[in-house]
Amino acid sequence: MTLKIALKELKEIVREGRFRITAITLFALLLAALFVSKSYYTSVNAQHSEAKKNARSEWVEQGQKNPHSAAHYGTYAFKPKYPLSLIDNGVDKYTGVSIYLEAHKRNEAQYAAAQDQTALSRFGDLTPDFVLIFIVPLFIILIGFNAFTRERESGTLRLLKSQGVSTWKLTMGKWLGIFLPVLFIVIPVYVLAALFLANIKDYGQFSLWALTLLFGVYLIYYAVFINITLFVSSRFKKSNLAFVTLLGIWMVSCLAMPKISTAIADKLYPYPTQVEFEEQVAADKKKGLDGHNPWNTEAKKLEEETLKKYGVDSVQQLPFNWDGFLMQEGEKHTADIYFKHYQLLKDTYVNQTNVYRSTAALSPFLPTRFLSMAICRTDYTSHWDFATAAENYRIELVGKMNGDMAANSKYGDWDYLADDKLWSSVPDFQYEPASYTTVIRQNTSNLITLLAWLLLSFAALYGAVTQMKTI
Amino acid sequence: MLNHTIKYEWLNLLRDRWVMILLILFLGITVFAVRNGKEKVEDRMATITKEKEKMAKLDRRMAAEIDSLHKNLKPAPAARQDSRALDKIGWNAPRVVAMDAQPLAVVSTGQSDLFTHYSKPKIYGEAYTLGFSELSNPVQLLFGSFDLAFVCIYLLPLLVLGFSYNILSSEKESGVLRLTLAQPISLYQWLFGKLLLRFFILTVIVVASILFSLTIFDIDWMGNMGAAMKLILLVTVYIFFWFLISFLINLLGNSSGSNAVTLIAVWVVFVLLIPSIISQTANSFYPVPSRTIMIHEYREAKALAEKKADEILKTYYREHPEYAPKDTTQQNQYSWWLGNFAASDVINQSVQPVLDDYNEALNKQQSWVNRLRYLSPAILLQDGLNDLAGTSPAHYTDFRNQVIAFANTWRHYFTPRMFNNEKMRAEDFGSLPTHSYSSAQVPSHYNADLMGLLFFLGLALAGSLWAYRRNSFERIVSM
Repeated sequence: MTLKIALKELKEIVREGRFRITAITLFALLLAALFVSKSYYTSVNAQHSEAKKNARSEWVEQGQKNPHSAAHYGTYAFKPKYPLSLIDNGVDKYTGVSIYLEAHKRNEAQYAAAQDQTALSRFGDLTPDFVLIFIVPLFIILIGFNAFTRERESGTLRLLKSQGVSTWKLTMGKWLGIFLPVLFIVIPVYVLAALFLANIKDYGQFSLWALTLLFGVYLIYYAVFINITLFVSSRFKKSNLAFVTLLGIWMVSCLAMPKISTAIADKLYPYPTQVEFEEQVAADKKKGLDGHNPWNTEAKKLEEETLKKYGVDSVQQLPFNWDGFLMQEGEKHTADIYFKHYQLLKDTYVNQTNVYRSTAALSPFLPTRFLSMAICRTDYTSHWDFATAAENYRIELVGKMNGDMAANSKYGDWDYLADDKLWSSVPDFQYEPASYTTVIRQNTSNLITLLAWLLLSFAALYGAVTQMKTI
Repeated sequence: MLNHTIKYEWLNLLRDRWVMILLILFLGITVFAVRNGKEKVEDRMATITKEKEKMAKLDRRMAAEIDSLHKNLKPAPAARQDSRALDKIGWNAPRVVAMDAQPLAVVSTGQSDLFTHYSKPKIYGEAYTLGFSELSNPVQLLFGSFDLAFVCIYLLPLLVLGFSYNILSSEKESGVLRLTLAQPISLYQWLFGKLLLRFFILTVIVVASILFSLTIFDIDWMGNMGAAMKLILLVTVYIFFWFLISFLINLLGNSSGSNAVTLIAVWVVFVLLIPSIISQTANSFYPVPSRTIMIHEYREAKALAEKKADEILKTYYREHPEYAPKDTTQQNQYSWWLGNFAASDVINQSVQPVLDDYNEALNKQQSWVNRLRYLSPAILLQDGLNDLAGTSPAHYTDFRNQVIAFANTWRHYFTPRMFNNEKMRAEDFGSLPTHSYSSAQVPSHYNADLMGLLFFLGLALAGSLWAYRRNSFERIVSM
């Protein structure tokens, strides 16, 4: 019975001009988004691997230098782009692409794409996720808003009831009648995306499993929207009112709620400004050990302690170059300061994330948005993870430079030069993103919220249709 | 007769609770949006003020110390710790170069969440390394802010459509249309009159809500009447455009339900789809030049210049006789700095072409993309509002240039004095160069945006005339 109703609904929907136009437009949009994103992804990836190669050769071929000068010269870590970013570019546009790694200083990632683009980019880009998350729910509303009101307006609902059709079966039929067209549009995109991704050379981290998970999340999201649509349609007498109400719901959950959450998160847990942050770091640095300033009180103290430890009475008699040692101790000290301040920043970010997690209870858009970005590795957490890895690499690189200077040169001998043997002994920066198990664990709350939306909206729909009046 | 029907329409609307709901809803949304904008602008101005106060305090402290050194109230410190050294002032007491908020900055967040609003350039450092990105949670940037611009661009059209999607179809569906048209009036004029009336009511509500919100949040729009009028004009034209679209769709003679669906589709196309399609295709077909490649070229040029720097230092004095020390009997205490400046000048000169090339490519790309804004009224409105709020990309580019120029001024205040081996005096604090922000250099897009919107208005009007002519009277009137 349910299937029969579904088929009838499907036939009715397909025969309507409105459906055909919107379905074809939607499908075309998704395809266009996929193709355009693919070309964007390929060109960005090419730039990335070229940049990475350049950075390495700059480092290795920097010529003879004092190791500490080399640490100042530094190198770059470039953020890799992951295959699934082709579906959802997440916050990638707003986070920098490269981090400059140098002695004494932890730098923020630079050159976020949005900063070089015009204000137009703030409208959003036509990427597959834009269509999947904003437009498909509109499509659901468009084909489903009059599912019940139409029957009621034409009086057929009463006829159906008199035939003894259970309202729940009728509802399930209508549910499938909306879900199947959505599925027909989404599945080809899924298959095509899988083909694209499997054929991109050097696709690294792509797994079909993740892509499937991603589409699974979207399908749950659509199910929630179908439930809401049918719920509203069953409660209203007139199609017009049902349509306007649904549109209002879409607007609030997809457009307004994200922005309102942002306002709340920003109000409760504001970020420091860039200059404030830098000054806090500088103030802490001033208090402690300065590797370049041997007259600094902390440096004097360390000198006394070290001399005592080695039982000598001047730094010249130490078995290593005091300058290099002091520099490395200073480096450790600044690294600790950065760690402390970035930890504070991270606390703010975690608090903000928790705000979004609680407002997710008011909009199915939010958990879907966050899950989608997380699976595509384009969320803020992935960026943090990369920045932390780059910082660890920086500490290692600078440590190696200072260590070489301490071990192989004499105190006061700033003319000591190392060469490419030392440079190439530093391994190239390699970054492995967090495993999917970790990603899922980090997003359990989003997953639970989305599933709660699914169950509660089903329950609400069930409650509504079983009490539905036929007039 | 026409006046008569419009009068009844007016009375009808007055008794409709729709108008009341609309008023309250829009007022609430506007107040919330302006509050958000106000909060951002307040934060921005508060940090700038705090920085300037900190700077003034530091100036006073340094001046007092220098004064007591001059008057020999304190023992002379070692050269390395002498607070009168010019390099100490130039490095430790930088000026705050700030981008003050424009009077109507609350209207649109624009690019203000991406960039810092003040910078403290020191005597030494490359312009290239001056950072301007603001520390923020990128999720916030992705979601955007709930500001007045969002309300006007996205929500206002929906309000217009909700208010007018059935102006003809409902009359038809209730059967009143035939009665009305039995009177000696023209359908087009009558409908247009109805539309104008609704446009008038909604505009009054919108303008009143905006001005009310600005007033309660202490924004001096009356003192900036010109900008406020420009804002209202832009928003009014946008509202009228959407009314005309609704008029056009109504004239096609379909049912209320089908009108609603069509109008939403038009909204999706203009507000969501066209902007995102343009934005994405522009990036693909006319990409922003690669920063990663620029970094590489920059570093190559710099490494090359650094190798040459020693050689160049020698020629530096020859090329700048004005900097030649006047008193040659004593050694210049700033020789390390002066050497450094000379080297950095050379390095800056050799990397400048790389930066210039990049900026030129970027400008080209941006002006190309900017032209595409004429494809959607939503983009035009966004551009116009950013322009009025002083938060457009052009404003930030201009500010960056002002900072770079000031960094130069700052250093050039010190270099001649350093060559003369002078020291800072307490009274010199008054003569240090200062920066005051002005956005006068930024070319305004406002007029072009307004013309663009008027063009869309004309297009919609022509469309409605065409729809009226094309459809026979019978089709419009019949059920």
